[in-house]
Amino acid sequence: MRDGAAIAGLGMTELGRVYGRSPRRLAADAVRAAVDDAGLALGDLDGLLVSHGLGGSPGIELADTLGLRDLRLLTQMNSFGATAGAMVSYAAMSVLSGAATTVACVFADAPLKPKQSAGSAYHRDAPEWYGFGGMTAALGFRSVNAFYALAAQRHMARYGTTGDQLGAIAVSTREWASRNPLAQMRDPITLDDHRASRWVSEPLRLLDCCIVSNGAVAVVVTGADRAADLARPPVHVWGWGQGHPGHRKARGSAFGLVTGAATSGPIALKMAGVTPSDVTQAQLYDCYTYTVLVSLEDYGFCGKGEGGAFAASGALGPGGSLPTNTGGGQLSGYYMWGMTPVSEAVIQARGDGGDRQAPNDVILVSGNGGILDHHATLVLSPHRKGA
Amino acid sequence: MDIGILRRDGRTDGFFDAAARDRLAVRRCAACAAPPEGAVPSDRDVPPDGAATGAGAEAFLPPDATSCPDCGTEDLGWTDVSGEAVLVSWTVLHPRPREDGSAPPPALLALVELAEGPWLYARLDGVGPAGLREGLPLRVRFAHPSEGEAYPLFTPA
Repeated sequence: MRDGAAIAGLGMTELGRVYGRSPRRLAADAVRAAVDDAGLALGDLDGLLVSHGLGGSPGIELADTLGLRDLRLLTQMNSFGATAGAMVSYAAMSVLSGAATTVACVFADAPLKPKQSAGSAYHRDAPEWYGFGGMTAALGFRSVNAFYALAAQRHMARYGTTGDQLGAIAVSTREWASRNPLAQMRDPITLDDHRASRWVSEPLRLLDCCIVSNGAVAVVVTGADRAADLARPPVHVWGWGQGHPGHRKARGSAFGLVTGAATSGPIALKMAGVTPSDVTQAQLYDCYTYTVLVSLEDYGFCGKGEGGAFAASGALGPGGSLPTNTGGGQLSGYYMWGMTPVSEAVIQARGDGGDRQAPNDVILVSGNGGILDHHATLVLSPHRKGA
Repeated sequence: MDIGILRRDGRTDGFFDAAARDRLAVRRCAACAAPPEGAVPSDRDVPPDGAATGAGAEAFLPPDATSCPDCGTEDLGWTDVSGEAVLVSWTVLHPRPREDGSAPPPALLALVELAEGPWLYARLDGVGPAGLREGLPLRVRFAHPSEGEAYPLFTPA
C-alpha cells in the first residue's frame, strides 16, 4: 500500500501565564519535546515549519537556535489561525513527495506580560490615531472582539440564533476542560454563569471569548510506515484543505454568515474519503463561541442557520453525537492559535484523552484566521487511510 | 469611549478633506466605472439567499482601498457619495474598565452598507440598540472635534 503521512510526535510547553521564556525559547523547547515524544533525535529532522504569531514569535532563525543542519525544508508560514493546519498539510505533502522525511511544525507566542490583563494583550489603545485604519480603531474597533460580534449579530438577525445557544457552546467546552489537566479554566460553568458574565461586545459576553496563553506546541510529521516504528501510535493525516473566501466588504457579501470552512471542509473530507456523518469528533478553532457555531454549519454537521439549535441540543458535550473541543478548546483550555485543536486531536487519536476520551476514528480539525477569513481543515485518524 | 485625536497618515487625505466639508468620500476605479460592452460584473460574492447584486458593478471602493480588485489598477480617484446607507450588523461595545475600575460608556458600532455598495465599519449615533434592525436606513453626519480630523457618524435617516 502507498505510504501516507502521520503525526509521530507532539511537544507542548507549559501553557498559560508562563513567563521568563522568549517565544523562540518556548518554540525550541516544544520542538525538542515533540522529537523526544516521537522517539527521534533533533538530528533526524530534515524539515522545520515555523508559525507566524502575534509578535516576537520566532522565524526561521529557530533552526539555528536548535542547531539543525542540512535541512531540506525551512520556512515561516502565516495564514493566521489557519497556519497550524496549513503547516501540517505542507509537511504531509513534503513527506509524500519525498522533499523531506521528518518535519517539525511549531507555534509559539508569549503575548501575556506579568501584571497585565489577558484582554490587553490583543487590544490597541492610543491618544492619537493615524489614517483611515486609525480612525476605525478610534471609533471603537480596537480589538477583534467587535468584528466577531458583528459576525455573530448578523447570524442572529438572519437566522434567529440566540445568546443562550452561544452559551451552550461555552458550557459544553468548559465541561470538557474540567476533565483536562492541561486546561487553564477547569471550574464547570452553567448557562446562568454565561448569562451573568459581563458583556464584551454584544452579543458576545466574556464567556464567549477565548483565553490568552503563553507557550508553544509542536508536532513532528513523517511517513506513516516510519511512524509505525516510532515510540508513539501514529496519527494518520487523511486529508487537508484550505478556504479563503475573500469576501469583499461590499453589497452582497456573505461576511459573518459563511466562512472558508465551507470550502476547506469538503476538500479535506473528500481527500479523506469520508463525509461529515463519518466524523466522530471535532476539534474546532474557538476564538469565540460563535466561531464554533458557524463552523459546525459550514462543515455540514447541520444546515445553514441551524448551528445554534445543534449546539444547544447537547451534541457537542460529553456523550453527545459530535464531541467537540474535548480538551476545552481555546475558550477554556489554552490559546495556541491553530495548535490548540491540532494538539487535542493528536491526544485523542492516540487514545490519551483519559476522562475525556471520545470516539476517535475520524477527527476533524479546523483552523480559523482573521475575521472568519481563513480556514484550514485536517482529517486525522488513528487508522491508516483506507484500512 | 474616548475617540481620541485623529491624524492623517498621507494615504487617505481625500477622505479627511471631504470629511472637513461634511461629505463622505470613497475610492472609485474610473476604468471599471465604464466597463466595455458585454462586460460581466463580478459575481464572486453571492450571498446565501442570493438576493443582493454584485459588489463591483459600479466600481465604488472603500476609502482605504489601495487597488481595484477587478482590474488591479492603483490609479483610484476619490468621489463624494450620497452619505446614505443601510445597517448590515451592529454591536454594543463595552469598553475595557479604566485603571480606577470605572467603566467607560458603551459604544454602538456597526457595519453599514453605503447606497453605492461599499461597506464601512462605523459608529452609530442618535439611536439605541433597541431601534436597530438589518436594513435600517442611515445617513452620515460628521463630528468636528476641536483638535484633529473630522470623522463620520451614522444616524437613522
